[in-house]
Amino acid sequence: MMAPWDLVAILGDAGAWAVYLAIGFAFGFVLESSGFGDGRKLAGQFYLTDLAVLKVMFTAIVVCMILLFWSTALGWLDYDDVWVNPTYLWPGVLGGLIMGVGFILGGYCPGTSLVSMATLKVDGAFFVAGVATGVFLFGETVSGFSDFWYSTDYGRLTLPEWLGLETGVVVFLVTCLALLMFWGATRLRRALHGDGS
Amino acid sequence: MKCPRAAYWGAAMLLLASGALALYGQPDIERKWQYLAGEYGVRLDDRSVYIDPAELLSLMQDDYIRLLIVDVRPEPDWNLFRLRYAERIPIEELPQHRARIAGLPANAVVVVVSNGEALSTRAWKHLMVLAKPNAYILEGGLNHWLDVYHQRKEQPRESDRSQELEGDGEPLRHTFKLALGDRHRTSFPDPHHVNPRQYEPKVKLIKKVVKKGGCG
Repeated sequence: MMAPWDLVAILGDAGAWAVYLAIGFAFGFVLESSGFGDGRKLAGQFYLTDLAVLKVMFTAIVVCMILLFWSTALGWLDYDDVWVNPTYLWPGVLGGLIMGVGFILGGYCPGTSLVSMATLKVDGAFFVAGVATGVFLFGETVSGFSDFWYSTDYGRLTLPEWLGLETGVVVFLVTCLALLMFWGATRLRRALHGDGS
Repeated sequence: MKCPRAAYWGAAMLLLASGALALYGQPDIERKWQYLAGEYGVRLDDRSVYIDPAELLSLMQDDYIRLLIVDVRPEPDWNLFRLRYAERIPIEELPQHRARIAGLPANAVVVVVSNGEALSTRAWKHLMVLAKPNAYILEGGLNHWLDVYHQRKEQPRESDRSQELEGDGEPLRHTFKLALGDRHRTSFPDPHHVNPRQYEPKVKLIKKVVKKGGCG
């Protein structure tokens, strides 16, 4: 049977929760192991003093993308059944800007703030409290700007559809782009801060 | 700080894997059906997706069911005769309707019709590859429907013209003096005026799995 599977139907509620727990544990473990529970390391990305975030995240994206589409090519996974967040272009752009500013100011994104809180860091805990407050305020006010919130709806839009290229070609191009970025970012960091920083 | 040798090996592996993927390509509908045949082909083999005309008529009257009748025949046959509420979607246009069909609610039932069963079975396979809806096929196609419900004065024909109309060699065997489309009385026969017909009910509603995702 091709993935993705309906875990609740296969394993029951408890079994599915156990799988979710295991995936969440592994995700948190990798984030913490990469040092992403430390706001200073994360913020270093924006000052080009530490490029671990770019390298770890983009490597994860590229590896996941290659595995995903090889699985599809070999008939192990039905990509059409994989959830892809629908594209709301301008709300997405604005949301990305807000999150980027919050990331620089607070030193965390929502996921890494949870990792930070899990290791009892006070700044992480305050960041999580801020996220929860923001989520609550957003939920209470979104009806006031729902026209914008639902605007520029492109549905399930992916890079191959947008570019009109074969999926495999786009995977190759994104991989090249990632490697180019790693190389370029490392060169830039060396130029700005030297080898040792 | 020097870039470790392992990083170069990693980069080379990523390039190799993605380059090979670009050459290998993603599966088209036919190849995808081969992957899915083990799971869905059995429904064709045991004919559990072929529904009797009487079951389709019952679905057409059921207000609870959101019925989508997909007629995959060529336009000339569609113009001659079609079922009430049917929607004509040629096989090659099915991918354009993927999102809509995949998003149908749990009480939705899709029934694919053609003149016989060959074209509709092919369309059903495409539908399962594209959207996996709760889909069925009209048993014997519209020819069988007309055999059952058409109180005709005309005789079934052996027409050369109609064989040209449908590529899969499934001509519409019944003659029509006028192209009435869905205004023909057999398009949606009055259930009170047709002979009751015994059939084995095959349509089952499915539980929809909510798909969501995201990243914090």
